[in-house]
This record gives sequence, structure tokens and C-alpha cells, in this order.
Amino acid sequence: MLAGAKRGEVIMLLKVENLKKYFGNIRSVDGVSFSIQKGETLGLVGESGCGKTTTGRTIIKLYEPTEGRIIYGGQDITSLTPDEMLSFRKKIQMIFQDPYASLNPRMTAGDIIREAMIIHRIPRDEQQDRVNHLLRLVGLNSEQAGRYPHEFSGGQRQRIGIARALAVEPELIICDEPISALDVSIQAQIVNMLEDLQHELGLTYLFIAHDLSMVRHISSRVAVMYLGRIVELAESEELYASPKHPYTVSLLSSIPIPDPDKSDSRETTALQGEIPSALNPPSGCTFHTRCPKAKPECSMLKTQLADTGNGHFCACPFV
Amino acid sequence: MSFFTSAGEVKAVNDVSFHVGKGEVLGIVGESGSGKSAAVLSVMGLKGSAGKITGGSILFDGQDMNSLNMRDIRGRRISMIFQDPMTSLNPVLSVKYQLEESLRRHHWKGDIHARALEMLERVGIVPASERIMQYPHEFSGGQRQRIMIAMAMICEPELLIADEPTTALDVTVQAQILDLMKALQKDSGMSVILITHDLGVIAGMADRILVMYGGQVMEQGTRREIFYSTAHPYTQGLLRSVPNPDSPKERLIPIEGQPPDLLNPPEGCPYVKRCPEAMRICLHRKPENISLSDTHSYSCWLGQKGVK
Repeated sequence: MLAGAKRGEVIMLLKVENLKKYFGNIRSVDGVSFSIQKGETLGLVGESGCGKTTTGRTIIKLYEPTEGRIIYGGQDITSLTPDEMLSFRKKIQMIFQDPYASLNPRMTAGDIIREAMIIHRIPRDEQQDRVNHLLRLVGLNSEQAGRYPHEFSGGQRQRIGIARALAVEPELIICDEPISALDVSIQAQIVNMLEDLQHELGLTYLFIAHDLSMVRHISSRVAVMYLGRIVELAESEELYASPKHPYTVSLLSSIPIPDPDKSDSRETTALQGEIPSALNPPSGCTFHTRCPKAKPECSMLKTQLADTGNGHFCACPFV
Repeated sequence: MSFFTSAGEVKAVNDVSFHVGKGEVLGIVGESGSGKSAAVLSVMGLKGSAGKITGGSILFDGQDMNSLNMRDIRGRRISMIFQDPMTSLNPVLSVKYQLEESLRRHHWKGDIHARALEMLERVGIVPASERIMQYPHEFSGGQRQRIMIAMAMICEPELLIADEPTTALDVTVQAQILDLMKALQKDSGMSVILITHDLGVIAGMADRILVMYGGQVMEQGTRREIFYSTAHPYTQGLLRSVPNPDSPKERLIPIEGQPPDLLNPPEGCPYVKRCPEAMRICLHRKPENISLSDTHSYSCWLGQKGVK
């Protein structure tokens, strides 16, 4: 368990084994395995419909997993009842994409942050001090506690969402596209704040996003998802410098570069077609229908993440 | 241009001047509320009932647009594609109907159906003869945006306005659509106004760039001038707030503060409250335009001599 761990030792905070989540016939998450070490940021990237959000929500058990295991701090939480789950929800919190939709418009900022404390039975006399402390922690001030969400800008609302997540002193925060709805100049504010909070409070992040350059910036390791599966996982710098899976290669070469000369001189491998439906995914390697390097046998291939050395995992056997 | 709302007058676009040359791609970059969309909606005469142009003029091909019948211009000589291909196509009409509609409206000389098929094929929707009979819901997001582009270009417009055309799309699909737009622009020699908040998209697509903030133009220049000889503190702040591809782990430098409230805009420069180099004069007086080259200019008191 966590308490007995020595300094400098790598502690597995979360381990996900062969996680599956089907909605009827739709295989949103189809056998995902990874682990997150205490204090690191694992980036989870992929295009819409790849299952990255569903993975995050299944871990926190907003969705009941169809198959697989979720192990938190050494304990299997896959089949806990909602009551038993309560104490784990305190340790795992979530930040959502849309700061407009994820705050109750009829509650004040202070009440939104306090609500989590009430649910998790934090003594009443401590609550107000903590609300004020949290507001300051996320760069707002305690006078703003009495205001309603519509009185804040998008970036400020996201700060309230973060304060709410921090209210119960979690260890792991699942950040589901926390900056996608924000303006460029505000994104950097929020990312810097998440980094500072991680440093100060020893937080661990699962950072789900489709903005690949921001994920590279914030993550220690990155997992790339395609149609419900992880196709590649590696240290952030390793993945961006030498991607192995053909999907990762195409994905990275599609990121627009904010530099005219570099943008003109680079070679792009524009991928054909779009992500197929998870209702009827392609056989074998699910990427073979769009893969620029597909071979005939790929449509029958059972792909699996394999270690290619240095903690770099890739699901394509031909690289 | 202003929007008159129940809360008061919103000066969405304030004293904005720009031009687009023939065959040129002009990029307009800005954040939400910067007035980038409002500026081109007024070009199209699509300002809505709350919107009103309170001053200035728009010239198209040398003619004042107030004297032109916009209904004959829109879709024919100037056309537009929007951010969201889901809501800008009519769900109850076939793609064939929607493609041919503007050909009919503008009295296309030639075979209307053949032209619709040709255009659909050109944007990569195949087999065109079968797919043209289908309805918007039978297409993916990227394909719908291709259909939008086909519709916009079917009458061979001289100017195409693209308002965040790839923002709703995934990055690999975005790359396809941008490649397609580039190819079509080269083939037809039309002019393009591309509106986006994505600095990467603008760096790859635009010949010239207009940087907007708080309803005003902060800086304009060729894309090399904007990216490599950045003059305005806002443009500098914007470029610094995205990760540097050469040192991706370096701490980001955000622009502090919040976007301006357009109902109560600052008297002087709209950027004054967030500008790290703001001076007293910036609060009260609008800066004048400073020319750095034939193509490059910016609006800031910093460049004016003897100002404190």
C-alpha cells in the first residue's frame, strides 16, 4: 500500500487491466491496459470516438465496466458498490471539458466547491475556510465565492471546476479535455496552474485531450488510442521524437505547426478516410483500413501492445 | 459594426480596415469575442436583426457593396463556409438539392446536374452519382465539410470566406480539408478569407495575417512578418502561450487576465488590461497605426516616439 512506500520508489497508483466498456454493440473501450505512477501525468490522446473519455469515466466508475479490472492503490475497485466507492471517489476526482455545462448555474461558486465537502462529510466549521483557501489556490479570491457561474469567464469557470475537484483532497485527477473549450491565451494559464498544483500537492493526472502539442508539454508519458484500443504508449519525448505506430506517425504529422517555415518544409502523410464506427470496427488490426503501410495479413492480425524496449509499447508488429 | 442587445451596445468591430488581393489568402486570427467573425459577416451582409453597421464602407471589385444587391452576390461571387457542418446543411434536403440550389438561383449556364456531380467528385465524395442522392446525416463530419466546400465553390466565386472551417474536425481530417482547400484555391485562383483561432492552421495557410483583439486590428502583415518580426505585445503574447515545438517542456507564458468586456470596452487600447507593457496613455487614447513596411503595421503606443 501507499503508506509503506519508501522515498524515490515508484508507486503504482492506478492500474487498468484489459478494461472494456460496451454500450450495446458499440465497443467504446475494447481492452485497454495501462498504469499510472504516483506524481506523474499520463496523457491519453486520440480522435473523437476513440474511447478516451469513456476510459476516463469508466475508471472513476461513472460507467460500470463491461470487463477488466481497475486497481487503485493495490485494491481492486472494479466491483465495489456505490457506497464502497464513495471513499475512492474522494481520492479520484474529475475535471470536465465544458466549463459552461459542468457547473450548476443556480449555485454560487462557493456552494459548488462546498457541495463535495458535504458529500464527503467534511466538518461544517472547516468548510468556509477551505472554500476560501481553494479559491485562492486556483487564482480567484474569496469575495468571488458568492457569485454565480454566469458572472465568470470561461477560464475562471474552469478554475472553479478545478477548485471543486481539489475540495476533497484527491490523489488522482482525471482531466477530460480541460482546456479545449478555452481561448489560446487562457489555455496556458490553466495548464501552468495544473502544473503548479501538481507540484505543490503531489497530484497525479490522467490528462485526456486531442491537442497533441499541449499533451506533449504536460505529460510524462503518453498513450495513443484508436477505436477503443491503445496503439502506442511511451515516454512523452520518445513518442514525439520517434513514433512507431503508423497511426501515431500520421497523427503527429497532422498537427499544424505555428511556424511558417517549419510548416512549409515538413512532409505530411495525410491519412485517408475517417475513423470507422465503433459499432462495426474493422477486423484484425482496426487501423488497417486507413493505414498507409497496411499488408494483406493486417485484416486478420490479432494486435497487442508489445514492449519494444525502454518502456515504449506499440501494437503494430511491423515496426 | 455593433450589436444592439438588451444589455446595451456591443461594439463587435470597431474601426477595422483591411483588404484582400486577388488570389490571396488572408488569415484573420483572434480569440472568442475578438470580432473576427462579425467583421466578415458584415462583409456578407449577414449581420442579423440586432447587428448594425455604424460606419465605414466595404468595396468589392471596386464597387461599394451598399449599391450591390447582396442576394446576387452571395453564393455567386462571394460565398462562405462555416464552422459547424452539422448545423449549416439542411437535414431534410438531399445533397443534390442543396448543391443545385445555388446554381439555379444564379442561373448557371450549362448542365446543372453535371456541374453538381463534378464538384462533389472534386471534393472527394465518391461515387458522386450515388452519394449525391443522400442526405446530410448519411455523411461523416469531414464529408459534410467537403459538401459545404463543394456548395460554396459550385458557382466559381471570386472570394471564399471560411469561418473556422476545421475547428469541429479531428486533426487528421483537418489536415485533409486544409489540403483540399489549398488545392482548390490554387486551381481556381480565388481569394480566401480564412478565420481561425489556430495559430498552426494560419501559419500553414495564409499569405497575409490580420490579428484581431477586442473588435480591433492589433497587427497585420505577411505571415513571415507576423511570426518572425512580431510587433504587437498581444501577438507576441499569443505566440508565446502555445508550447514551443523545439522545447516542449518549457513553462508556458500565458497572457494574464481575462478577455475584454465588449459592453464596457476600455477607452483606449482594448488590450490595455492584459498588456505587460501598458502605459498610462494606453488607458485613455486609442493608439495610432504604425507602419513598419508596405505590408506590416500595428496599433500600439509603444512604437510612438516620446510617449509615456
